[in-house]
Amino acid sequence: MTTAAPSLKLRALARGAQAYSTLFAASAAAPYLSRSTPVRMTGFDLDLTVASTSVEVDDVVSFELRNPDGSDLPAWVPGAHLDVFLPSGAQRQYSLCGDPRDLTSYRIAVRRIDADMGGGGGSLALHTDVAAGDTIRVRGPRNAFTFIDVESYLFIAGGIGITPILPMVREAARRGARWKMVYVGRSLATMPFLDELQALEGGELELRPDDEFGVPDVADLLGRAEAGAAIYVCGPPQLIDAARVLQPTLNPTGSLHSERFSAPPVVGGHAFDVHLARTGVTVKVAADESALAAIRREVPGVRYSCQQGFCGSCKHAVLEGAVEHRDHKLRAEERAESMLICVSRAAGDELTLDL
Amino acid sequence: MARQSSRKPPRAYRSEALAINARDVSFDWTGVPTAYIPGHPYATHFWNVMHLVLPEGERAMADVLGRALTQIDDPRLAEELQGFIGQEETHASSHESFRIHLEDNGFDIPKVTRLMEFLMDQVFGDHGLKGRAGEAWFHERLGLYAAAEHFTATVGEWLLDNEEFDRIGVDPMMLDLLRWHGAEEMEHRNVAFDVYQHVDGSYARRVRTAFLASGGLLALWIYTSSWMYAQDPAVTRHPWTWPIEFVKDTRKGLMPGLQFIFREIPQYLRPGFHPSQMGPIDKAVRYLAVSPAARA
Repeated sequence: MTTAAPSLKLRALARGAQAYSTLFAASAAAPYLSRSTPVRMTGFDLDLTVASTSVEVDDVVSFELRNPDGSDLPAWVPGAHLDVFLPSGAQRQYSLCGDPRDLTSYRIAVRRIDADMGGGGGSLALHTDVAAGDTIRVRGPRNAFTFIDVESYLFIAGGIGITPILPMVREAARRGARWKMVYVGRSLATMPFLDELQALEGGELELRPDDEFGVPDVADLLGRAEAGAAIYVCGPPQLIDAARVLQPTLNPTGSLHSERFSAPPVVGGHAFDVHLARTGVTVKVAADESALAAIRREVPGVRYSCQQGFCGSCKHAVLEGAVEHRDHKLRAEERAESMLICVSRAAGDELTLDL
Repeated sequence: MARQSSRKPPRAYRSEALAINARDVSFDWTGVPTAYIPGHPYATHFWNVMHLVLPEGERAMADVLGRALTQIDDPRLAEELQGFIGQEETHASSHESFRIHLEDNGFDIPKVTRLMEFLMDQVFGDHGLKGRAGEAWFHERLGLYAAAEHFTATVGEWLLDNEEFDRIGVDPMMLDLLRWHGAEEMEHRNVAFDVYQHVDGSYARRVRTAFLASGGLLALWIYTSSWMYAQDPAVTRHPWTWPIEFVKDTRKGLMPGLQFIFREIPQYLRPGFHPSQMGPIDKAVRYLAVSPAARA
């Protein structure tokens, strides 16, 4: 094994590596020894035509999307979603709720959430500004809620959370798996796709509107799963959080599957300046954006990943200024000299990073 | 003409992307024995190599692949790579946390970290190459990491399928680390390959780097595990008994055997190979839904 000075063997290894890179990278023969044939892919962003819209229940509209030339769309499995680019430039994610076997069209369903109910305007824009014949840009499909093949399922959907679950139940029924489904919502009149669910065969469908049964007890709902079942939950965050806490003890051989979400918005931040010492620029970070988002405008290749302060990919050394650490990753000694720029901010008005 | 790359027209994606994101995991090694595969010190040290070499190895890989981001104009591959980097970073720090535990228990870890730093700098580093040569060497390293990732994905599947670990009572926290890591390796199995194909894609380079990566990984694994076996105070047998233990523990199903490499290289070298052809990843999805560390 090596000591402070590398051993003979290691130095020989390093020389071998140098000889290798000289031959295959630096020599005149190198381009002939490895002729590059890059494989480029396209079609993650798609411009699709709204073929039709349909009012499912009072405040839920579904949109049928097709390729303008009628060709097949990329295949998907239940649980997949699309990013929809709104006219404002904002992006919203909607689950595909149509039939994965039909590649000629996608269907998404959108519940209208008004601004006074905490809506971000995405659903409103789709309800009021998008009609049949329009073209919308989407990205995907992408799957963060993978449907696995098992013998027994419990599906729990709350309200508009039915959208990813509907194709899952349909697929489970098609495979002849054992399935149970509990669908909760405010009232039957607010719960879309009841007719499509009721048409499915082979499983147990339980409709459980709050106005008839009261607010559901999550442990009670989970208790309907067979031992070892895959449990798929989609609905309000409280429902998913409760299910995640309760499931391991209730059904230790089963598995709970819920959709994984991306970075939450910045809250309680104030604006500050970041000096990038090596790049030689100063970036203004707004109160409602992360330091990472601001730095990326100047340094597009800056390293990052989870954007939630736990993976550690965006750790950078702090040369000057106090940091308000918002991650839960760095050890105390790391915090003394570095920060995760995806969540952490300046404690004062400015920071200098070794970047 | 050979100097120019032959650029084929872009092909359209035919199926959905799998979202790849790091998970917020944590492992607490308090009270976990360093002999976590009871009665099998060699197998324990074989898996210890992950804790010893991956912190530097995976970070170096994430670094090299991250440099490809500026060359990737496909938003799907770019976001997959972004997620891949985060997963690799959490793998590195999780294995590192156990490496600290090993050091606290008397193993000479600084020796290994010095070796890894030397390897990553002098052997797999940029060799001071610039311009066209620097770019070609960057492509070569992408090829090495793509091949290495094929092995980690197949070892990941092996870890998820393994039942012997449960039977002989491997420490549950360690088993979770190994299987969570293995499951994420299956989940992101296409990323390093697709980055290599996007940036370079040379078949000659794929063949060369596949042999080099598998030979290099094998040598590193054997060297480090036998060295750990030799310095383990709990091992009373002669240090040179490790090859016997290697064969015995492989037969018992505690490690993938050498035939693994001979089976996987031809797979990886099929001209039309793509990692998505390696079968469904349902077992990885299911494990990630039940992994105590990933669920916490």
